[in-house]
Amino acid sequence: METQAINTLTGVIDKKMTRQLKQYLDICARCAICKDACHQYVATGDFTYLPARRAELIRQIYKKYFTKAGEFVPALYEARDPDENLLDELYESTYACTGCRRCMYYCPFSIDTAWILSAAKAILIAAGKGNEMLGQLADAALMKSDNFEMFKDVIIDGFKDVEGKLKELTGDPSAEIPVDKEGADVLYVALAGAHSILPAAAIFHEAGTNWTLSMFESANYGYFFGDAEKARRIADRFMDEAKRLGVKEVVITECGHAYRVAQFFHEAWSGEKHPFKVRHILEVIDEYIKDGRITLRPGAITEPITYHDPCQVGRNGGIFEQPRDIVRAVATDFRDMTPNRAEQWCCGGGGGLVAIAEMEEFRLKSGAKKLEQIKATGARIIASPCENCRLQMEGLNDQLDLGITVKPVMDLVLDAMDLPR
Amino acid sequence: METYLFLTSVVGVYIGIGVFVVGMAWRIYQWSTTPKSPVKLGLFPKPATATGRGAKMLKDTFIAPHSARIEPVMWLFAFAFHVAALAAFVGHGRLVVEYTPLVQLLGSDGMRTFAAWSGGTAGIVMMVAVLYWIARRTYGPFKQLSVPEDYFLLFLLLGIIVMGNHMRFLGHVSAETYREWFQSLLVFRPVIPAEISGSNVGWSLGTHMLFVNVLFVYFPFSKLVHTIGAFSANLVRSE
Ligand code: SF4
Ligand code: SF4
Repeated sequence: METQAINTLTGVIDKKMTRQLKQYLDICARCAICKDACHQYVATGDFTYLPARRAELIRQIYKKYFTKAGEFVPALYEARDPDENLLDELYESTYACTGCRRCMYYCPFSIDTAWILSAAKAILIAAGKGNEMLGQLADAALMKSDNFEMFKDVIIDGFKDVEGKLKELTGDPSAEIPVDKEGADVLYVALAGAHSILPAAAIFHEAGTNWTLSMFESANYGYFFGDAEKARRIADRFMDEAKRLGVKEVVITECGHAYRVAQFFHEAWSGEKHPFKVRHILEVIDEYIKDGRITLRPGAITEPITYHDPCQVGRNGGIFEQPRDIVRAVATDFRDMTPNRAEQWCCGGGGGLVAIAEMEEFRLKSGAKKLEQIKATGARIIASPCENCRLQMEGLNDQLDLGITVKPVMDLVLDAMDLPR
Repeated sequence: METYLFLTSVVGVYIGIGVFVVGMAWRIYQWSTTPKSPVKLGLFPKPATATGRGAKMLKDTFIAPHSARIEPVMWLFAFAFHVAALAAFVGHGRLVVEYTPLVQLLGSDGMRTFAAWSGGTAGIVMMVAVLYWIARRTYGPFKQLSVPEDYFLLFLLLGIIVMGNHMRFLGHVSAETYREWFQSLLVFRPVIPAEISGSNVGWSLGTHMLFVNVLFVYFPFSKLVHTIGAFSANLVRSE
């Protein structure tokens, strides 16, 4: 391999080097305990998707270029160059990973394979092999903020349409969807599309919250693509908005990775502490219910219902009980999956996979464990607070014609609220 | 035999310990001078207090309860190996200094019986575990994932354990005699008692020490640094 190309790629590892990464690369025992933790490996039996194997590719480069022992006796570690072969396999295994971190949960050393793969993504991007679709979506999001004046009117018109529906739904002609409202307490960051705005708007309206809607969506393809700089800038769009409006808290819609980015990554990326709190919408709704700010018809849902913990909300986000409490408040027949909470199986839809068309077949196949779990509950409705999870589980449902409905949790809340409609 | 023992059980020991100490210090230095990412990589649920996090880290490191849930058989062998290795390590402390209070408690015959049983059990357990690990790496995904380092370390361990067991089960050299040899190394006036070199365990001690020295030299450059790295990596889990 050319020295120039090697230097570029090892330079990326050098820039990405952190104590966590270094230790992960040094200590893995290759015991393969992580093997059965990964839904993709379990469903396919394909070695490429064994968590430690994915990391091993980075380790091979690391051993050769960052350790003396690997430099002198590369054969002992199978240390090698980041050549085409390596990069092709790396592309395959890295962009497939959903970042669910179930492998980390079971590893005796808690090795975060997804963290190692964030270095892998940086290498792939530097080699011109970043996933194209995810890269384009990230750039499109930045295009929107860079040329905001161009888009502003269209966006606001869209919000006005939703506002019309909100007035109908609540029967209150003064109900509104405030945008760009200084002095609001809450900045709600939704996803593109009315489905993630309307239920929240109705709930905020009912609870009498002083809120405002972000002009930007929470989804962050820069994060999935693996470009930390772009990911930060995409999150900056609404973080800056929150600062400018002086809100007390930023509330992220039912989306997994956006919550994790806002809650756990953004401060570290930007090197600044947020002058506001960050919460997930379900934490807020749970509080409204418990404080009596919204009233629900108990037993509004009688069909058997289950809840899927999105990895970024549950194991990686720490929100386990609030969504369950909400579901129990509206449904009579709640059935948890086994295993659940921190041990919940990844549905297979994370990591931006639902946006990559050529991944569809693999993605649905990798949902085998989730499917098993869902069937075992006998539930007719699945509630889950993450758009990627919902799309994946809808895909699984359609594939087999299970006749199950997949819903955001706040839709259940909306159904159980006494509204004139 | 004298030359073999001099090389493996005198010179080699100094080299082994020297490289080990410097190598591990270098490894720890490297880790501690690499800036930690400010991103919190913790998994939930996690304890709210620093004490809680410390306690969870120790539990995760010493018991690895999550690994036990997903692969109980592997966990059992790994746990047994590590406990036995720790016992063997403590037992080898008698080379440096006799555990006098224990001898007073058990009497010298009792001590000999106790050492024979505990050391013997540890040796057998470790041997079985290492054989299990070797077997595991001969098939399927375990084989695919393995690199030469993995086999090298396992066979090194196997060699050390088998030689140790040979001395334990077939030798008649007393702990006092081994101590005489080891203490002489500590004061830099090495002697190898004739009782060892002239007995049936001369070559097994030599080979035991040869493998031990290679292990010590290689240790800081191998995945065995997980013996210390596991603590900080498991702490990251709770941050
Ligand atoms: S469980 Fe952990 S130590 Fe074992 S192979 Fe997987 S990442 Fe490596
Ligand atoms: S993070 Fe999830 S998808 Fe990625 S390797 Fe680990 S278990 Fe598999």
